[in-house]
Amino acid sequence: MNKTGYLYDIRYMLHDAGPYHPEMAERLSAIHKGIKDGGLLEKVTVIPASRADLKWIKTVHKEAYIRRFEEVCLSGNSHFDDHDNGICTETYETAFLAVGGILDTIDRIMEGELNNAFCAVRPPGHHAEADRAMGFCYFNNVAVAARYLQQRWQIKKVAIIDFDVHHGNGTQHIFETDPSVFYYSIHQHPSFAYPGTGRDFETGKSEGTGFTKNSLVLPGQGDGEYQMLIQADMIPAIKKFDPQFLLISTGFDAHGEDEMSDTRVTTACFSWIMETIMGLAKQHTQGRIVSVLEGGYFIPRLPELARNHLSILLNG
Amino acid sequence: MFVNSSMVKKVITIDKSASLFDAQEKMAANNIRHLPVVDSHRKLAGIITDRDIRSAMPYKLLKEPENARDRADELQALTVEDIMTKDPITISPMDTIQDALLMIQQNKVGAFPVVDQEGNLKGILSVRDLLRAFINVLGIREPGTLMGILVQEKIGQMKKIVDAITEENVSIGSILVARHWEDDKRAVFVYLLTNNVMRVKKKFREAGFTLLNPMEWYLDQLPQHD
Repeated sequence: MNKTGYLYDIRYMLHDAGPYHPEMAERLSAIHKGIKDGGLLEKVTVIPASRADLKWIKTVHKEAYIRRFEEVCLSGNSHFDDHDNGICTETYETAFLAVGGILDTIDRIMEGELNNAFCAVRPPGHHAEADRAMGFCYFNNVAVAARYLQQRWQIKKVAIIDFDVHHGNGTQHIFETDPSVFYYSIHQHPSFAYPGTGRDFETGKSEGTGFTKNSLVLPGQGDGEYQMLIQADMIPAIKKFDPQFLLISTGFDAHGEDEMSDTRVTTACFSWIMETIMGLAKQHTQGRIVSVLEGGYFIPRLPELARNHLSILLNG
Repeated sequence: MFVNSSMVKKVITIDKSASLFDAQEKMAANNIRHLPVVDSHRKLAGIITDRDIRSAMPYKLLKEPENARDRADELQALTVEDIMTKDPITISPMDTIQDALLMIQQNKVGAFPVVDQEGNLKGILSVRDLLRAFINVLGIREPGTLMGILVQEKIGQMKKIVDAITEENVSIGSILVARHWEDDKRAVFVYLLTNNVMRVKKKFREAGFTLLNPMEWYLDQLPQHD
């Protein structure tokens, strides 16, 4: 059995995106309930939130953007940048807690206390650009994590695997010229789904060319296509890159019952994806994985999806 | 949606007395395929394309190497004026992008010189510029989600769609209306500038619309090529 961390804190529920917003605090309650009812709490190390040092957020985001985010939250506005990005006065601090918790989790792995971890954080991050909030995301959690691994822990090569149903435009753009961070994403085809990026021909820029890989899934497709693409695209790409650490943008919104997408992935296939990622981590990163929550909006399925996810980190 | 706002205004031109080699080098250096030809008063005299130049370089040059020297001299003497298309099809800055799309399809050309009423060259509009304009119209440079809705061909349907979107405070990137295989129906494609589609979907269903499976529409309704 692995030494697995589970970053969870009720303070991640302080961020309120507004009434009827799909990115709601109940997502975390559902995830936590699934993990608790599955008897996993006794087997993992529960990590509380901690506040990130501003200097780490500045490795990804422009200072003017961070200031603007703080001002807009504190001024009582209902949204930031796009109308999608609902906020409240606590959003700014909650975003700091999300990043801080993930960085603390990384320290625990690098110091040997843990092998891997699942970070059930809000708000999510993969749409956030260096200077723009997008798609319910404010700070790009995994992007800061990758820079932290490189600068604080001298990890040279970090791979990010993103299986949220939406393309992680922010993560891709932040690292598109950087050959030391490989970004792989599998998502619904951008002609049909938000945000409209992540096409097949986007493979990185200048020195980073070849270090971005996108796999596209058409509406209506499900397990078969995911398994085929992960085997044909993801596994060879990650093997070739040979990362020293794996960061996962975990989204459960490709699920067939999730109305945010038109893909039809089953609960069993989500487990298969995670088991496949565990296999890669064993071969390349000494099992080091930090999985960070992104999307997943169909509340009734989140308990089982989160329970399986954490259970695979623990036992896989 | 006028040609004036989509055309390239800083046009790279060539003088009609220039040699073919000058024209070829100018195209290569600027990564373009069309050069409007102008006289000394910057009036349009014609247009020359990379294809015109290639056609003027006879394959005999390679086939009959013994005469190559003479042919090369001949080519050297050729000027742009000798091989350009005189009186090319032009477009006015005040024509619309729709005009340009139809004209390009009809005339099978890659670019139009844009001239005013006095015949002065004002710009050039190529297929590339039209593509840019079309991408702009579709709104797909902005993040968003495409949704297909099946509607009855009757008055007031579009209002219901727009009302549902407005009630959810969502911005619209574009709306396209397309033929449907049932005569009395239309497929409406709205590009919504949001990630938050759950409530809009629900609103559409409550308003009595059927959400289209985009794959069915794509596979069955795209014009088939022979």
